[in-house]
Amino acid sequence: MESVDTVSTDVLIIGGGPSGLSAAIRLADKLKEKGVSKNIMLIEKGEEIGSHILSGAVIKTDVFKELLTSDEFNEMPFDCEVKVDKTVKLSENGETTLPFHPPYMNNIGNQIASLGKICKFLATCAVSRGVEIYSGFAVDELLYENGKVVGAKTKDTGVDHEGKPQKNFQKGTSVKAGITILAEGTRGSLAKQLISKFDLDATSNPQVYSLGVKESWNVPEGRIEAGTVYHTMGYPLIDGQEFGGGFIYGMKNNKVGLGLVVGLDYEDPSFNIHAAMQVWKQHPKIKAILEGGSVSEAGAKTLPEGGWNSIPKLYDDNVMIVGDSAGFVAMPALKGIHLAATSGMCAADTAALALVKGDTSASTLTRYKELVDASRIKKELYPVRNFRAVMQDGMILGGLKFGVQLLTRGFCLLTPDTHSDASETKKVKEFTGRPFKERFAGKLDFDKKLTFDKVTTVFQSRAMHDEHQPVHIIINNPEQFRSSNIEVYGLSEEAMCPAEVYELHIDKQGNKSLRLHAENCLHCKTCDIKSPNGGITWTTPYGEDGPEYREM
Amino acid sequence: MALTIISLMKQVPLASEMRMGEDGLMDRTKAKSIINVDCSFGLEAGLQLKKQNPDAKLIVCSMGPPSFEVSLKKAIAMGYDEAYLLSDRKLGGSDTFATGLAIATMLRHLGFGKGLNEDFVIVAGRQTSDGDTAHVPSQVAENLKIPQGTFIETASLVDGKVHAKRIIEGGYQMMSLPVPCAMSFTPTGVEPRRKSLAGAVKANRAKVTVFSIEDINLSEEFIGLGTPGENGSPTIVSKVANVVSERAPIKMSSGHNERELVSSFLDNFKAGKNTLEVKEAKAKVEKTRDESLEVIDFRNGAKGIITWAEVVKGQISRPSLELLTPARELANDLGNDTKVTTVLIGKNVGELAKELIAYGADEVVVVDDERLEEYRILPFSEIFAQVIKERNPEIALFAATTAGRELAPRIGVKTGSGVTADCTSLEIGEHKHRNKETKVQVIYAPLLESRRPTYGESKLATIIGFVCPQISTARAGTFAVPPKDESRKGTISSFTPKLDESEFVSEIIETVIGEAGGQALFDADIIVSGGRGTAGDGMQLVKDLAQALKEQGLKAEWAASRVMVDEGVSEYAKQIGQTGKTVRPKVYVAVGISGAVQHVAGMKEAETIVAINHNAKETIFNNADFGIVGEYEDVLPELIEKVKNGFTFGIEAKA
Repeated sequence: MESVDTVSTDVLIIGGGPSGLSAAIRLADKLKEKGVSKNIMLIEKGEEIGSHILSGAVIKTDVFKELLTSDEFNEMPFDCEVKVDKTVKLSENGETTLPFHPPYMNNIGNQIASLGKICKFLATCAVSRGVEIYSGFAVDELLYENGKVVGAKTKDTGVDHEGKPQKNFQKGTSVKAGITILAEGTRGSLAKQLISKFDLDATSNPQVYSLGVKESWNVPEGRIEAGTVYHTMGYPLIDGQEFGGGFIYGMKNNKVGLGLVVGLDYEDPSFNIHAAMQVWKQHPKIKAILEGGSVSEAGAKTLPEGGWNSIPKLYDDNVMIVGDSAGFVAMPALKGIHLAATSGMCAADTAALALVKGDTSASTLTRYKELVDASRIKKELYPVRNFRAVMQDGMILGGLKFGVQLLTRGFCLLTPDTHSDASETKKVKEFTGRPFKERFAGKLDFDKKLTFDKVTTVFQSRAMHDEHQPVHIIINNPEQFRSSNIEVYGLSEEAMCPAEVYELHIDKQGNKSLRLHAENCLHCKTCDIKSPNGGITWTTPYGEDGPEYREM
Repeated sequence: MALTIISLMKQVPLASEMRMGEDGLMDRTKAKSIINVDCSFGLEAGLQLKKQNPDAKLIVCSMGPPSFEVSLKKAIAMGYDEAYLLSDRKLGGSDTFATGLAIATMLRHLGFGKGLNEDFVIVAGRQTSDGDTAHVPSQVAENLKIPQGTFIETASLVDGKVHAKRIIEGGYQMMSLPVPCAMSFTPTGVEPRRKSLAGAVKANRAKVTVFSIEDINLSEEFIGLGTPGENGSPTIVSKVANVVSERAPIKMSSGHNERELVSSFLDNFKAGKNTLEVKEAKAKVEKTRDESLEVIDFRNGAKGIITWAEVVKGQISRPSLELLTPARELANDLGNDTKVTTVLIGKNVGELAKELIAYGADEVVVVDDERLEEYRILPFSEIFAQVIKERNPEIALFAATTAGRELAPRIGVKTGSGVTADCTSLEIGEHKHRNKETKVQVIYAPLLESRRPTYGESKLATIIGFVCPQISTARAGTFAVPPKDESRKGTISSFTPKLDESEFVSEIIETVIGEAGGQALFDADIIVSGGRGTAGDGMQLVKDLAQALKEQGLKAEWAASRVMVDEGVSEYAKQIGQTGKTVRPKVYVAVGISGAVQHVAGMKEAETIVAINHNAKETIFNNADFGIVGEYEDVLPELIEKVKNGFTFGIEAKA
């Protein structure tokens, strides 16, 4: 099978985040236990493992005790243990510390960490078990035979904007695999294709997402103790309009990870989460921590938060979906890493079983679903399955409804529906609230010390894209995009994108057009999720392109 | 036997990530490692040759610490077959002479370079970002006694010969090289391809063969850190000093649309550019020597300064005349009736000898031969080495032109000297040295202290050598042309070299130097130059801005970056950059130009540089005084409007 452009493996894992790496580690262990020798190949599009990883992160560590040897677990590069955990309700200039935690939010004993560093560490554990890891390769196509997934293909490189091969053309490699595990992270582009091809979301709610914009700071001594966790509610968000909040995690050596996470089901077409994060930092409470410090890195990522009701069918013949691609995030607790790792382990156990049995069809892989149902994933997600849906009513009313659900173990008279984030955006003329710029007038001039524009954030993410390649952001229907997305929604993509990929250009005659700066892209996929009319398809650019996070 | 394509490659720290350590030296350890950019173009050139010769074997070689395996494996992932690494602690501190020797020895160990009938081609990068010398390919070629082509952009195999496009000042040359040969590639040819997954799988399973110096039978005599009077490289870095960057930080325009941007630019321009506080040059410290120390004169009777006069189109090139300035100063400093001798090689060049004397040479050695009409490295390096052998000079100087930069290292291998590249200052000095065993301190003097910028011009390194002649190349434009004195007296002598026909195996097929056109660019006060980013309208707006400025009575011209010439949008005569024209206008407006080094080399002497580009991250903004981030289609019409209303970039109209 090996040739210039084809390789084969028993198991192909696409994506080197916590779910993919956990799947690889667990599978290697299981196969060894069963005395079976199989190839496990993991492909990651970031230049290195961790380059595209961004998270808070406060991690529930139990899953890693199950995944790793105790020696390995003890070596995990956590930063520090959570000692102080407070939830603060912000008003424009004031704050109230809540006397209690919202349910599921207690973090004492959890570990603060850079998820990028954790993934790098997990990669070494996988490699030591014989897993082959290849980073810097974008996979943009699933391979099918007789309608069944039989592997995937990496992207052709050395092509021009029109896709025409150049002198340095390098054909993508077809990877033939017995089992393919999609661990691409949030809104995975292959997972999206697979779900749509096999209608895997026929019975689930549409997935809904949040966008988190994060910065890593070095602050002056004494601003925040390592191990201190603050979550903020309220300002700059308005209850009932935007769902979300901020996080501030104190780490060793005066490092602070902080960010604002906002649900993408907001209605204001001009709402700008990146700018909202900058407004949030001007609050006296946050400013007092940051002032005089400097940003070491910045970036953005979306996270699925539809919960249990939005999880699609997780498998088909020869293929399974794990981690954020499947939507395993426990929203009330703001945690998905341990569930991603758990799902990777469940998929690995299933793959081991299938390989030993020599049957990788859906009838064997259904075991994956059974394992998920028996694991902490269902335990944590099922009782809160209607959390995000009721939160579309606002935190106060939603909180009440959610409180009732907790008493009834998640029972709701009617299973509430969620709507896709894209469909929630209102047309400029129909949006009746105060538009974003008016709401935060006077706070949107960024000083590049405490607050930054999007271009600076892109710089801080170290994002780079080869200009010799087809534009990786596809306008699905240019005519509709012009007449609706631009004219009717006022190019809401410009506001929603945390990286200034979209620019509304108005010429002297007043004609509006889109200027696309795909080279700024942070791979958060917000546009793919939120663009009105489903106007945008995000495809993966060349491997190694994109942000280069070090410790995000 | 099938062709073997050998790529020489170095791994370097990413320059933008190197930080100054607490010891004042550059800390490479925290920077990300990459394949040196020029080397990656060399790798791609090898892969392109393979396309023509599907049976060819591709091997990649490097010298350095074990961490270089990462880049060697990347080469395999790009399509190479085998990788070899020469890695030995004893090689630490090696200069380019030692590196060239070591790599050639490794290649000989691998079975190459033993005779002239072998079927191999060496492809390397032009130079490394952490050394910038461009020596090693020349030195490897000389050590293997094979022909070479340096500064090659593209190469292909035609009827068993290599046809290569060589970049020279102001144009290019098509040359034909026999096989085997060595080539070094500029980062302007075919872009290095991405690695393939299938290749990466192969690389993951492949083994890099690592050699120690014992494995390849390399003696310790000439490698490792140089020590006067002992083993090691012939040159060492004796000091490193900081350099204050020449250009002050850019002033960027701000605004939400082109109107605001341009008006902010006008305000900035009126307020003036940022300036650097130039520190007062330190008063020259009088050198006092510890009289109790023994002074060692290592020259062993070598005496005099020899320079090369490069002839281009029947004229002595300006950099070769400039060279006579430091040569004269060094001769004066050395005293003792030290003479400056200039070697003049060519066909019917005798007439030029008088001119060299008028500019300061004491003696001109003329080598006249009809086969030497055009510069070719093999005969020229051989002739020069023979003259050196006869005259035994202590110092040999070359202008750091394309030819000088390949010639000096090739001669350096023949004479056993190291070479210091691209110097901006040449002085006579001394070097204190404590013998490791006897602990006795001695002074080596007099010797040539060659200073050159390094690490992206942020440092000034002083390099000295202990083998005569001490060879350096001097950066063009650094020294003034000495005053011409027609009444000066000097000796003109002729020299007849022994030349073998094998020195003439490489042929120049064609030399293309830009036509005389575009002279107005040299006289222009303001140049509006367009790059890739202005292809949209075929540079119309760039031309319109230049025209608007002309209409205001200014000496304004439009010009183009190389890409625009390659794409046929602009004629060659309008090209600015290393392979085009070097201009010094009062104002240079770079529109849609990314700021590649090749372009910057041609315009960085402009008094004021304005950059307009839609991508705030382009390097052009590091080389400009004023910047506007925006689309040229928006900004230029606005700017043209302002020019029509009287804005002339601070230049007074002549009309």
